[in-house]
Amino acid sequence: MSIFKNLYNYREFLKTSIKKEFRGKYKKSFLGVLWSFLNPLFQLLIYALVFPFILKSNIDNYTVFLIVALFPWNFFNLSVIQSAACIVANGGIIKKVYFPREILPLSTTTSNLINFLITEIIVFTTLFISGVGIGPTIIVLPVIILMQYILQLGISFILSAITVYIRDVEYLINVIMMLAFYLSPIVYSADMIPAKYLPIFKLNPMFHIIKYYREILYYQTMPNIGSVLILFLICILILIIGYLIFKKLEKRFAEEL
Amino acid sequence: MKNSQVAITVKNMSKDFIICGDKANTLKEKIIRFGNNNKEVRHILKNINLEIKKGETVALIGVNGSGKSTLLKLLTKIIYPTSGSVKVNGKLVSLLELGAGFHPDFSGRENIYFNASIFGLTKSEIDQRLNDIINFSELQDFIDTPVRTYSSGMYMRLAFSVAINVDADIILIDEILAVGDQKFQEKCMNKMLELKKSGKTMVFVSHSKAAVEFLCDRAVWLNDGKIQKDGPTKKVMEEYIKVCG
Repeated sequence: MSIFKNLYNYREFLKTSIKKEFRGKYKKSFLGVLWSFLNPLFQLLIYALVFPFILKSNIDNYTVFLIVALFPWNFFNLSVIQSAACIVANGGIIKKVYFPREILPLSTTTSNLINFLITEIIVFTTLFISGVGIGPTIIVLPVIILMQYILQLGISFILSAITVYIRDVEYLINVIMMLAFYLSPIVYSADMIPAKYLPIFKLNPMFHIIKYYREILYYQTMPNIGSVLILFLICILILIIGYLIFKKLEKRFAEEL
Repeated sequence: MKNSQVAITVKNMSKDFIICGDKANTLKEKIIRFGNNNKEVRHILKNINLEIKKGETVALIGVNGSGKSTLLKLLTKIIYPTSGSVKVNGKLVSLLELGAGFHPDFSGRENIYFNASIFGLTKSEIDQRLNDIINFSELQDFIDTPVRTYSSGMYMRLAFSVAINVDADIILIDEILAVGDQKFQEKCMNKMLELKKSGKTMVFVSHSKAAVEFLCDRAVWLNDGKIQKDGPTKKVMEEYIKVCG
């Protein structure tokens, strides 16, 4: 309980760092925060041009098929890569002031969540315009987003702490994320994977999360509730383990930085 | 409750720093130097036992490198002891280095919010204190310019004004007051005397004999990572000056 009490006492600092993280990214640019909306919008427009005309696919509405999975992936990707660096990047204040260190990965992940929720507006608009529409399965979406957030928070705790000791992680993670992109059913659909390799793919939690997004938004079918629950529990477990690792490693942050 | 009278307890606490000639930060260096690290362990603090009661004002004195600042960092929980324990009872605020927790591109006013929030204040609490902080710092004319344009004296004024307005129970101050001018230093001293009278606990690192004798009832002399002498300011100071000139 003391974790939450401590974070509650520092809520103002948490708020300012989320704001700083969110606004700071586009600071000094002319359009500012608007970029977090424009970026995915342009991305979408490019796909809408490329896929129907150049790279023709036999999947109906490939652009919609792609973005319902790609935007959650971008959320995962950015949040993981940024949080790997977040402790090292804030070395200055860590060495000089005490505050609960977990605020840093927490604010990086949360500012990315806000960013993602903005991009979901574009996804919904596209679903309407393309005629795919939105089905009743949408009620499960908040659960999936929450699950992904919890997973990312756990990974964020682990990576941000390890990077302090082994700086290579920050760069290594870029390569791993590129591989993970193709190991998750983003550009292809999950049933295109050969059956004998499927068990390996299923070890990746993002494989399932991406699949759920597509089921809910594109196919508009209900994901298997049992497997959603199990994965949710696994994500919570990863968060707890991540937090414990972070707590163990944080004691020497000020000396290692 | 005997325990509620104690603000800081340090028990059998030691702190080692591992000094590497050249630290292996990357994976490559770690692999190459595996088992071949020219590590050197330096004992910065050796078996420190210290108990500070609520409302006490304690000066930490000692030559450079005797471990004063390290002890303050351990009390704030920026670093953790190698062995033994440090217990702090109450809300703690520390002023260790100039400009810690300031963002150079933000204005003085924004930095007050940022800095005070690091110390755990909420927005409305900072709103209430904003005028007091600005008035104490005497920086009214510069409060909306970025702090990177500030002089070190101005930095200190702002940092000190924030720290004393946080309403902490325990205040730790490293030797940063020295950069202020005579008038502001006197103002700080008077403010600290006021805080002392209102029952705050203070730990204060200083090389200024006058400041220590003016403010503190008790002095702890650290020498080479050990407590050389602990007692009433006058006695400890006399002996310290005899030895260290």
